[in-house]
Amino acid sequence: MSPLWRDEVAILVGPRRIALARRARGLKPRVASATEIAVAGHIGDFGPTLTRLADVLAEPTWQDAVARVIVADPWARYGIVPWPNLRLDGDGRLSHARYVLAENYGDVVSDWNVSLADTPPGRAYAACAMPSGLKTGLEETLAGARLKVVSLQPQLIVAFNAWREQLPTDDAWFVSLDEGSLAAVHLSQGAWDRVHMTRLSQDWGIELERLRAFGRLSRSGVGTRMLVDAPAWMRLAHTRSEDFEWLESERGESSHQLALLQRVYA
Amino acid sequence: MKVPAPIELDFAGPVRRSRKMGGALCAAGILACAALGYDFQERLDERDSVEARIGALTRPHRSARPVDARSVAAAAAIEKQLWVPWSSLLAELESASQDVSSTVSLLEVEPDAAKHLVRITAEARTLPDALAYLERLQKSPVLRYPMLDSHELRKDDPEHPIRVKLSAEWRT
Repeated sequence: MSPLWRDEVAILVGPRRIALARRARGLKPRVASATEIAVAGHIGDFGPTLTRLADVLAEPTWQDAVARVIVADPWARYGIVPWPNLRLDGDGRLSHARYVLAENYGDVVSDWNVSLADTPPGRAYAACAMPSGLKTGLEETLAGARLKVVSLQPQLIVAFNAWREQLPTDDAWFVSLDEGSLAAVHLSQGAWDRVHMTRLSQDWGIELERLRAFGRLSRSGVGTRMLVDAPAWMRLAHTRSEDFEWLESERGESSHQLALLQRVYA
Repeated sequence: MKVPAPIELDFAGPVRRSRKMGGALCAAGILACAALGYDFQERLDERDSVEARIGALTRPHRSARPVDARSVAAAAAIEKQLWVPWSSLLAELESASQDVSSTVSLLEVEPDAAKHLVRITAEARTLPDALAYLERLQKSPVLRYPMLDSHELRKDDPEHPIRVKLSAEWRT
């Protein structure tokens, strides 16, 4: 392994699942290893996920590389922060974003880590919060495996950036579905102007009906489209719908998490 | 086709991913620098080669240079001599001689163009006649600082005249 081109390990962590992919870099980068592991965890506690991740990272296959980490949407909270009328420095913008997130999600996010999207001045920007203990725990766990964290992004951001070239710039919804969560972003003039999040039940049939209803409601404007990124098993169960469009990869089907990891490098 | 802008949000720090275009531009820049350096070296070699050829062509004629330098010095000296105001100088000396009733005869007038100095050798019957001539020159608008450098009684001459040597600067 060249010190200039260190291997990269992409890791997706969620309450029920961990996915890892190692990419050997160089002139011809390739996925050297990939795996997906079930976790008996839940949304309110990321401890089991970190413990399982530490076990997996004990294998040399995943050690000594740079790491790009994706945090599943159940552990992230998103908000759209309007551009303030007064001039704010970095700390001021962060405080403003915390205020907006607290308005949406309550005091639970008051001590969470908050990150802001890099947006041109004058435009509303996306903000995301995740539990501070999760970030610290991930960094400590990865450091134990000689993995240097170069990126830590929430799932919706990674999924959106991966699909954005197939999305319209105006008046469209991008929906990221995963087991137990739905995150939806509305696009206006090429930028985010609304974001919604909801938990999903185990009954996918009911959730699909909710999604269709959401699609019908969101199409109140003529020409509004809803494009959905979802695991293959969800799409295969319901291949056709007039209320929304599935986003499907041309690379063929693999597990949703592994496909997402591979899109990190797209 | 326009696409939505990417969302650059990262908890690990600012998002600064190297773009393919950035890499390509960097590579193009390095190649351009290398090409420029190669071209520069080639031109340096070409210049050295041309200088060497010019040196070879001019070498046999180098002996002519001292002659040229001497010619230039001589020409400069001649030019300086041409700047001596002979007409006004001689006219003034003659006028001064007439003013002292021609008691002084001019024997030699020697200008020094570099110093703007004129040396005069003259003979007078007596020393007071020579001093009167000097006094007259001191009032001349053409000369300044006339001085008596020496005087000598000519015993070998039957009339025993006084030979004086004067010097003065001429005004420019």
